[in-house]
Amino acid sequence: MNEITAWVHRPLANALGWALLHFVWEGAALAAVLATVLFVIRPASARVRYGVACLLLAAMPIAFGVTLAASLSAHPVRAAAPVQLAAPPGFDSVADSGTAPVPLRLRNVLPWLAPLWILGVAIFYARGLAGWLAVRRLRRRGVCSAPRCWQERTDRLCARMRLSRPVLLLESCFADVPVLIGYVRPVILMPLGCLTGLSAQQIECILIHELAHIRRHDYLVNLSQSFVEGLLFYHPAVWWVSRVVRAEREHCCDDRVVEMMGDARGYAATLAVLEQRRFPAPQAALAATGGNLMNRIRRLLCQPQPSPTSAGPALAAVLLLVSCAVALAAWPARAPVPRWHPSPVVLMQTPVAAQVAANAAPTPAALSEAPQAAPVVTAQAQAASPQPQTQPLTDQERKAQERALRQQLQTPYRKWLNEDAAYIITDEERSAFLRLQSDAEREKFIEKFWLRRDPTPGTAENEFKEEQYRRIAYANEHFGDGVPGWKTDRGRIYITYGPPDEIEDHSSGGTYQRPAEQGGGATSTFPFQQWRYRYIEGIGNNVIIEFIDPTRSGEFHMTMDPSEKDALRPKIQIVQLHRDSGTQIGVVIPLDASGGTLDVSGEVSTPDGRIVQTFERQSTGQKECTKLLALPAGNYRLVVAVRNVATGVSGRAETNFTVQ
Amino acid sequence: MPAPPHQPPRPTDAELEILTVLWSRGPSTVRDVHEAIARRKPTQYTTVLKMLQIMAEKGLVRRDEKQRAHIYAASRPQEWTQRQLAGDLLQRAFGGSAKSLILGALSAKKASREELAELRKLLEEFERGAS
Repeated sequence: MNEITAWVHRPLANALGWALLHFVWEGAALAAVLATVLFVIRPASARVRYGVACLLLAAMPIAFGVTLAASLSAHPVRAAAPVQLAAPPGFDSVADSGTAPVPLRLRNVLPWLAPLWILGVAIFYARGLAGWLAVRRLRRRGVCSAPRCWQERTDRLCARMRLSRPVLLLESCFADVPVLIGYVRPVILMPLGCLTGLSAQQIECILIHELAHIRRHDYLVNLSQSFVEGLLFYHPAVWWVSRVVRAEREHCCDDRVVEMMGDARGYAATLAVLEQRRFPAPQAALAATGGNLMNRIRRLLCQPQPSPTSAGPALAAVLLLVSCAVALAAWPARAPVPRWHPSPVVLMQTPVAAQVAANAAPTPAALSEAPQAAPVVTAQAQAASPQPQTQPLTDQERKAQERALRQQLQTPYRKWLNEDAAYIITDEERSAFLRLQSDAEREKFIEKFWLRRDPTPGTAENEFKEEQYRRIAYANEHFGDGVPGWKTDRGRIYITYGPPDEIEDHSSGGTYQRPAEQGGGATSTFPFQQWRYRYIEGIGNNVIIEFIDPTRSGEFHMTMDPSEKDALRPKIQIVQLHRDSGTQIGVVIPLDASGGTLDVSGEVSTPDGRIVQTFERQSTGQKECTKLLALPAGNYRLVVAVRNVATGVSGRAETNFTVQ
Repeated sequence: MPAPPHQPPRPTDAELEILTVLWSRGPSTVRDVHEAIARRKPTQYTTVLKMLQIMAEKGLVRRDEKQRAHIYAASRPQEWTQRQLAGDLLQRAFGGSAKSLILGALSAKKASREELAELRKLLEEFERGAS
């Protein structure tokens, strides 16, 4: 114990403590930068997003290291420094470097962070090592080589994807999904029965996905990622960024599959089939609500993404505010301390800022608010700088203002990119457009863009362009309601695929005779429309797209789920009750009393997918189902499912809420 | 044919490999099993034959002697053995710390029932669209 106490009072422990503490805001700031950049470059390809996320994840340990080095050089480790046990005088080195206003309590606690942190890192790395060993055994135990024809097919795919390393295809009796293991001698493990149970094309899709991981050196990146996670395990921002990297990585590989096979829907179906096949395996985990499979499948089925979450920028803003506040509190306003006051901040933010500038400069911020966005951005840029008038502008503030100004100038081009051509421009064209430097180049690009699509290049008219603008005008006229029509789901589909061949309109809702494939029977529905296209290139024949309007506001949204139009889909009301015993959350689910016995089940989870509470009720003839929950403050997601026991008709709804 | 013992013992690693071949290819002759195993590491035909005989005695595989070339089949389904061995490997590799160390088309985390229901609907819709 004494030895720990002695060690704790060494300058190294002290410096570590400071670095750990500073990383709280550094990590938050880096995550905020990522959230902002991702929001700004939303339409960019998964590869760009992946690159940005990786860069920021790498910046995290660098920021930590730089801060550590800087705080070490501020209190140099004296060789064989006498152990200074007496509290306040022993900390003079700390006081010297400009940290006097930090409360005494914090200074006493600070060095103790280091041993705790070391313990945590040790635990995480030990766990990681155990996992790594388990994975190594997985490639040796219970495996056999795949039938020759499949190994040959894998080799051919390797050659097509220009992979130099040989990839071994094995069947494993332990894997329940196809997995890739190893970097130097990569192995793809297929669950037993997968090779015979799926069609050749489906297996090829999976193989390409795994080979894409090899091609992109993902295994190595993933290992370093786990290394960073363990090192900075205490910061949620690290985990969040890491999760973004993982998700985008899968998107990259998905894109590669679609690129090579050309059949996004078939691939999405393959993923779904795979997930279904694994389910009867031993532990049927009920819990997991997370997992990004649904997102990936949606992404594959309907690109571009329907409505990006609005949580990203909000989160970024909050994180940025918090980190600014922490930074201001930690750095007392005083004459700059030459050595280590500014260095960590500037050092670590410069590459990031450059990255932001590189990505954001030609890209409009806040795409969705096309016309009004620019002035808002300017205002925010000014508000974000703490003392705009009293101090000369720092480099970063000036950059931010320049950026805002540039964005203002680009409005017409931004409108063209994000509105006129939003749904028809390819990813390559979009990134090419964003790289352009001058307005003249952009004009030329736009001209060429339309010319490339002109079905009759010889004539003065460009039928394609005219049709495109007609569709936008039609969408704005017919589907807009609060939101501009081109931005609605119906608008997007109309602009992308043109007028449907047939519209089945149930805009008034009411009774609906369900087709046999959906279970048959009569059901009461929300207003909905079905659009039928006889043929859509790249998707197939007889495509039916369903839009529903659950709020009866005239704002139809596209749905993949034929049961979503069901009026049985529960509505959820959340009330916060303040009782003497503390805050409680009341969940009220109005029910259809005449419908017979209903099973109601609910699940409360945190935004990161951890389940906090579940409940189940059965109700017969009651008008509503209520449930009181005692939850600590925070953000939650509630998913409620209602099922009619007699008819089997079910509905599902989810909502997010905050407990204060 | 002697009736297999009530509860076959846990297979060793080498036996598990042979079982995997049998699960993958279905009932096979010794030659088939040898062919599959020899592709990964050099193994003598007689070694495989000997092992299969031992496994038949242990009750891990069944031997069909109706034809000239004896045909061997796993006596228990894959799931059964998997459950027998599940404690260590499966849990550690797919449930715990190693989850983030493997890459795959699907996450190591299983989908929930609701998600599966949604998936099923999606597939039905897809099949309708494709037909």
